[in-house]
Formats: sequence, C-alpha cells, structure tokens
Amino acid sequence: MIPEPQTRISERALVVWRISGGISSLIICLVAGGLITLGVIFDWLFWIIGVILFIALTYSYVMIFLLPKLRWKRWRYEVREQEIELQRGVFIIKRTLIPMIRVQHVDTQQGPLLRKYQLSTVMISTAATVHEIPALDMHEAEELRRSISSLARVADEDV
Amino acid sequence: MSEPKRLHPIAAVVNMLRQLKELIVPLIVFVVFGSSGDGGNQFYLIAVAGGLFLVFISGIIFWYRFTYRVEDGELRIEHGLFVRKKRYIPFERIQSLDVSEGLLQRPFGLVKVKVETAGGAGAGEAEAVLTAIRKNEANEIHDLLVKLKKSTHAVEEGEQIDSKETVIYKISSSELLLLASTSGGVGVVISAVFAFFLQFEEFIPFDRVFNEVEHFISSGLVFISIIIFLGFLLAWAISVVGTMLKYANFTLKRVDDDLIITRGLLEKRQFTIPIKRIQAVRISENLLRQPIGMASVFVESAGGSALNEESSKVLILPIIKKQKVARLLEPYLDDYQLNSELHSVPSRAYIRYLLKGWFIAIPIVLVVVFLFRPWGYFSIALLVASALWSWLEYRDAGWSLYDGLLTLRFRTIVKSTVFMKREKVQSLTIKQSHFQTQKRLATIDAVVKSGHGGSGGKVYDLDWEDTKKIYNWFSRKED
Repeated sequence: MIPEPQTRISERALVVWRISGGISSLIICLVAGGLITLGVIFDWLFWIIGVILFIALTYSYVMIFLLPKLRWKRWRYEVREQEIELQRGVFIIKRTLIPMIRVQHVDTQQGPLLRKYQLSTVMISTAATVHEIPALDMHEAEELRRSISSLARVADEDV
Repeated sequence: MSEPKRLHPIAAVVNMLRQLKELIVPLIVFVVFGSSGDGGNQFYLIAVAGGLFLVFISGIIFWYRFTYRVEDGELRIEHGLFVRKKRYIPFERIQSLDVSEGLLQRPFGLVKVKVETAGGAGAGEAEAVLTAIRKNEANEIHDLLVKLKKSTHAVEEGEQIDSKETVIYKISSSELLLLASTSGGVGVVISAVFAFFLQFEEFIPFDRVFNEVEHFISSGLVFISIIIFLGFLLAWAISVVGTMLKYANFTLKRVDDDLIITRGLLEKRQFTIPIKRIQAVRISENLLRQPIGMASVFVESAGGSALNEESSKVLILPIIKKQKVARLLEPYLDDYQLNSELHSVPSRAYIRYLLKGWFIAIPIVLVVVFLFRPWGYFSIALLVASALWSWLEYRDAGWSLYDGLLTLRFRTIVKSTVFMKREKVQSLTIKQSHFQTQKRLATIDAVVKSGHGGSGGKVYDLDWEDTKKIYNWFSRKED
C-alpha cells in the first residue's frame, strides 16, 4: 500500500455536510410527503406509498449520516515541498498527485454555510485541471493558500 | 517594424464574408417566412438590405481600427470601436504559429497568421489572428520568434548557429490517397447531408413527394438501393477529395528547435510548434487503418482550444506504417522513446472489461427482446459483439515507464498510445473501487495540457503493483 497522506480535513466539515444533506433530504421528504398525501386521497396501491416512504427515508439516512461520515474518513491531503497529494472518494478511492511546478494559482472559496462554521474550500488549479480540498478550517485554508503559492512561485518553469 | 500597422484591406472583405456566413441561415429563414405573408415584402427587403449594410460597415470599421505592431519582443494588437482592446503577447510565450494562405488571400500574396498562447482568454478564437498581412511580414514575425530563441541560445553558447533544416516526412501520392480513403470524413459528410435535409424538412413537402414517388418505389426496391448507394459513394468521393486537397503536399520539417508543418493545395497552411512546447505525443490507429498497420501521429500543444482543435492536437504524421514511426521521429523529438515495449494489463482484468461492456449492452438486449418478441432474440448477438470489443479494449491496454517518459496505451474507439514526459504531466490520479481492490487492480489517469483544457491518457485495471510503480515514479516525495 502507498502510505496515506497525513492531514485530515476539519471535523466541522462533517457538521456542514450533514446540514446540507439535511436540507436536500428535507426537499425530498417534502416531495415524498406530497406524493403520499396524493396517494391517500386517490387510493393508490399501498405498496407504492411504501416504496415512496422507503426511498425518502433511505435517501435521508444516506445523505445525513452515512455519506458524510464515509467521505470525511477518506478525505486526506498532504502538502509537501514539491507536490500536493489528495485522497478522496467514497466508493472509488481516488489519489491525485499535483507537482508544485504545475500549480498555476490557488483559490479559497466560502459559502454562507461554510462561513458560519469558519471553514473554506481550497481550489488548486494547474494549466489543465482544477482540484478541490473541501471544508478546511478558514485559517488553515488561508495558510495553505499562502504556502502553496509561495512554494509554487519558487519553481519557475514554463508550460 | 514598430509602427502600428493595419491589415491589408482584403481583411475587411474576409471579415464581412465570415459574418455573412454566420448570418446566412437566419437571413434565408427571415426572407422565406417574411415573403410568404402578403404586403410586408418591402419591409423585409429593407430590413435585409439594412442588415447587409451593417455587416459591410462593421467589416470596414473592424479593418480601420485594427492595428498591430512588433515592439520590445512583443506582438501588440489594438482593436475595437467603442471599447479599445489592447493585447500584448510576449514572443517567448507563444505556443504555436499558424500561417495559412486562403483563397482570398492568395491572389494578393497575403497570408493569415494565427498566434496561440497557453492562455485561455476566449474559448473560441486564437489569442491573436492577423487576417491578411503580406507574406514577408509573416516571415518577419516567424523569424523574430525563432531569432529570439536563438539569441538566448547564442549567449549561452557564445557562437552563431546557422539554422538547420531537415525534412522529416513528405507525403507521397499513394499515402495521400490512402489517407483520404480511410479518414473518418465520410461519416461527417453523410451526417452533414442528413442534417441539411432535416433542416429543410419543413420547407420540402416530403409527404407529397413521397406520394408521387410511391408507385415509383414499389416499382423497384433495387432502384432505391442504387440511389442510396450512389449517394454514399458521392459523399465518400467528396470527403476523399476534400481530405486530399487539405493534406496535399504535407511536409514535416525540423528547423532548429521547431517542428514546421506545411500542407494544403487550395488553402496552404504552415504550422510552427517549438519542440519544447510539445505536451505529449499521441499515436492513434483508427478502425480502418489499424488492420493495414497504418497509424497517425499527433502532438498535443498548449495553444488552441476546444473549438479550434487543429491547433491543440496537431497532426504531424497523417498516415504512416506503425513500425516506422519510432525510427522516423525519435531522432527529431528530443527524449521521446517511441518504441518501448509495453506491459499489458493482467488477465484477471478481462472480466472487468467484459462486464463494463455488458453493463450497457444487457439492458439494451433486454428491452429489445421484450419489445420485439420473436426477432428480438437476434439482439443477443450484441452481447457477443460487446464481448469481442471488450477483448480488444483489454488487449490494447498497456503502459510503460522509460526514464522520464510515461507511455499509456488504451482504446476508446480509436486505439491511442500516448507518450508523456514527467515534467509535462499536470496531475496524476489513481482510482480504485472496492471491486478493484479485491482483484488488486487500479485505474490510472494522467493529464497533460492540450489547448484550453486537458488531455492525456486513462488506462483501466492495471495491476496494483504497476500502478504503484507509476505513482511513485511521478511522486516528488523526498525519502
């Protein structure tokens, strides 16, 4: 096995993912609720209502509890002097190497939910690809952005 | 050459024609629908005339406001009527230079110059297009580009270097014929014809035509078949002639540190790409050429864009015996080892290739069998075809590492072999699903810059140990 990258992303990410999972589940549940009401009014078959209920509940469970947990457990990164390594993915584990000399610029980005929890997303762009580290502690992200761009600046090599 | 200069006035005409070409379909629709109503004819005529007049004027204004000059090692372009736009391109940032001699430019001894950089300002056009300038001016720009590089070399080595020119490849007429007849252009022409008819479906009274032709049809299916066959033959002939005109006199040269490609009969083009700007080399074998052992070779360039694929995936050898590629190119492409033995994918991976194909094929077969009961069973043949295709994909997958060079071979529809230098790879990803982990397999995906975005290679289900080797080769971790 290749040794895993060392750094984990912030634990608060878990909370944020659960909240956004909760929001999308809420929408699904509302739709399901509407359908079930219709079903009761128009006398649909009982099993159709059952299936709808099952789908809504499974979706909520997966989005609020299962997925954030698995995702967080897998997410790791490491910024070394000459490269950045990322590991992510729930069902398919993906590991990516980005050489420092190929980094063109680094962005941080923060939505309202992330801001509330003092988190932000770091986006690392090469000339051809964009890679994202979601939900880092805000100061950590800022620090990371600064260190990547200073490390990347040392390596002055053209495309 | 530091005075701001205008393009040749013919540029105004070229721009007008281009705008007219874009307007032609809306114009026709406008006129057709407009004149079908009674009375308002004059209004429509005036509107069309007004539109044409605007195109005419804007062409002239564009030409009038567009200036270019070479200053301080930069190509400087200024244009725009209300919003003045200035674009300064340093020569050392130029990725490629595309000089073409169109039908309009040629009578005046003019050329069109396209300059590509790695920047992605617009997804569509090149970074700078000089629509019509004199040939010697284009040569001057080209020389400046070359000289600039040479002067930095000369300082280092302290001597004057004469430019060294070697012709690497020149297309022969039999190769040209082979190229044209096996190119995928046939499909393009056929689909263009179909698209054309679909476009006018509303205007052509197909129903009436069909009714009249009906007794004709019943009189002979053979006749119809012949017509269709002739149609295809014609489409094929058009595509062959088109390809031949495009690639006639194709020549690949190395001049100092640049590759220079010239081609074309009606429209002559010259394409320059500095060798150190090459992002990757790709050998591709399509279904028609692979059985006869022929291949084409492309280089990936950081210039160009998705809409302008010819300058991001540059064809350097249009058609060639596959065995000859390495011998022909290796002396001229520094550090590219094009002949290395490839390691293949382990045999336990085949089942995954097979299932991936069947994953799509099985639902189709099920639906067809279910809907068309007796005859639908023939669709089971699709499973066999899919299995054979998967076998091809499995057999063609491969990889190798040689010094600083990663080679990946894979098949989508076309079989591609991609050669990537370590320092040109933008990012490398390995992917492993739960099932792959159990079988100790993994997928590798390497990205190089190509035009506006990325290109590269992706090979499924390599042996895990091999994947690790490639990953560690790319990693810059010190230990």
